[in-house]
Amino acid sequence: MNTNAFWHFLTLQLYKERSKHLSVVGISVMILFLLSSVQFISSSIRFSLEETLKVQPDFVVSRVQGGGSVPTPIEWSDELLDIYGVSKVTPRVYGRYYFAAKEKSFLIVGVDFMEEQSHETLQKLIATTDIKAFLEGKQMLVGQGVKAYLEAHFYKDAYNFLTPSGTFEKVKIFEILPSNSNLIANDMMVMPIDLARRVLGYGEEEVSDITFNVPNPDEWDMMTDKLSALHFDLQVVNKNEVRKSYENLYNYKGGLFLILFIIVLGTFALILYQRYSMVYSTERRHIGLLRALGWSINDVLKLKFMETLMVVFASFILGIFIAYVYVFVLGAPILSEIFLGGQNLQNTVSFVPVFDFSIFTSIFLIYALPFIAAVLIPVWRVSVTDPKEAML
Amino acid sequence: MRSDAVNNEMMIQIENLNRTFEHAGNEVKVLQEINLNIVQGECVVLKGVSGSGKTTLLSLMAGLDKPSSGKVLIEGEPISKLPDAFASELRAKKIGMIFQHFNLLEHLSVSENVTIPLIPSGLKMKEIHQKVNSALKLANINHKKESLASRLSGGEKQRTAIARALVANPDIILCDEPTANLDRDNSLLFIEILKELHALGKTIVVATHDPLFENLSFESTVIPMVDGKIV
Repeated sequence: MNTNAFWHFLTLQLYKERSKHLSVVGISVMILFLLSSVQFISSSIRFSLEETLKVQPDFVVSRVQGGGSVPTPIEWSDELLDIYGVSKVTPRVYGRYYFAAKEKSFLIVGVDFMEEQSHETLQKLIATTDIKAFLEGKQMLVGQGVKAYLEAHFYKDAYNFLTPSGTFEKVKIFEILPSNSNLIANDMMVMPIDLARRVLGYGEEEVSDITFNVPNPDEWDMMTDKLSALHFDLQVVNKNEVRKSYENLYNYKGGLFLILFIIVLGTFALILYQRYSMVYSTERRHIGLLRALGWSINDVLKLKFMETLMVVFASFILGIFIAYVYVFVLGAPILSEIFLGGQNLQNTVSFVPVFDFSIFTSIFLIYALPFIAAVLIPVWRVSVTDPKEAML
Repeated sequence: MRSDAVNNEMMIQIENLNRTFEHAGNEVKVLQEINLNIVQGECVVLKGVSGSGKTTLLSLMAGLDKPSSGKVLIEGEPISKLPDAFASELRAKKIGMIFQHFNLLEHLSVSENVTIPLIPSGLKMKEIHQKVNSALKLANINHKKESLASRLSGGEKQRTAIARALVANPDIILCDEPTANLDRDNSLLFIEILKELHALGKTIVVATHDPLFENLSFESTVIPMVDGKIV
């Protein structure tokens, strides 16, 4: 078969039957858009979670009394430092600050900037931050969501915090935290520990919790036992438990996506069945005619395969592109609520683009293979029947 | 010119051909022990009422159907026994088929419909366009080449189908009830085109019950068929 003549006829067929193909492309794009959006969101969240947990301190201890958190005495830090294998002990002062204008709350994190931080992101920020300049005035580092909210309410460079004692603390924005820490840091305000104490109403010798690292992971289990023996009201949480709690949360959210996924696949199956039936009804005569006019079975299969491949490829590119724009440019409105709504992150999270080719491959295979099969199997079955019977 | 024809002049040879169908558990004999030889350049009219088996016989000659027993030879090649690629090539190069219902692809134009048999031929587009234009002129439908098949009259559709049958310059033209959907004027026009094709040396087989084919103005052989048999 001459390639030019074949391509000429193929493009002619695609163009002349464009309404049929466009409707198939339209439905396929919708399915691919949903499949890809779900994949993009979940892989982006997984990536952000991993990136964020990577830099979290290994352990957090706090005081719990009567089932609720109470301020932790700062002298516990010294006790922790005495334990062999413990490093980077960092007392933290943090708490949620209610932003009345938007009915949102931000997470204030107070940090002793003169100490080495067990939280790697904070440590990195401090390493690149001009500490001297930062500590000169009342200043803070803010997450991207905080920055956006404050800017929208005309707090471009600074914000006036109302303290529990009824006074105002005007704090300047010094720097913005990086976007790849958004899953945890998006609604975060990082400020000097004494300033955080004043804003949140902690006493001078009180902190919210104390973080530290234990470089040898084999000591983690034993460390938990040792710490629990220190004080009856000491609560210990290690990074693995934080990871598990996040994973449990996202697995639960992922279950909702699974339902959506099944619905989409069910719809896709119906479309495949409709496509399969269409070949038998409307395209049967067409195939029979081509065979009667001297086309071999291979010629017919090649035409239909290429025709379907073009439709599949166009749908795939378009579906992926729209999903990419929807998730990574527009921030996946509606769908993101399923994953991110109802938890601590009360501000908008921008998804970090993740280029995982296995995602593209799996989406292509989930979509393209059944679609091509749903066309080619009936085409082949019609092609191998006698042209006279096919044309009936 | 039938069973006594010389073998090396043969275009179509049919030997002990039978075709049966299963219908409601019963075996229906559509063709019974057909023996027929058609030489190159001959015009044969298979004549008979509906159900006499002429369309089935034509389909078997074109390789569109398979015989229950017996064989059909096109220039000595058993078309029903050839592998698909060879049978398709033989059909594309040697046989032009004109169907009762024209069987045009309605979403394509006249010239695009005529192009179809040449797509698998290996010819370049320029050569294909030349052949298509020649066929359109021969079938007197060149003036409608850009029109959609769905917008043609019955006569125009018939001429498009003729052009499509002629485009590969086949030696054999098979026509199944070619005037069944035409008025008298268009039927006479079709017969004129057949006369031209006959003059070009094409082997023509027409399956029809139209009385117009009984006394053609050119040399032809009328073969009556009744209940699946040549009588």
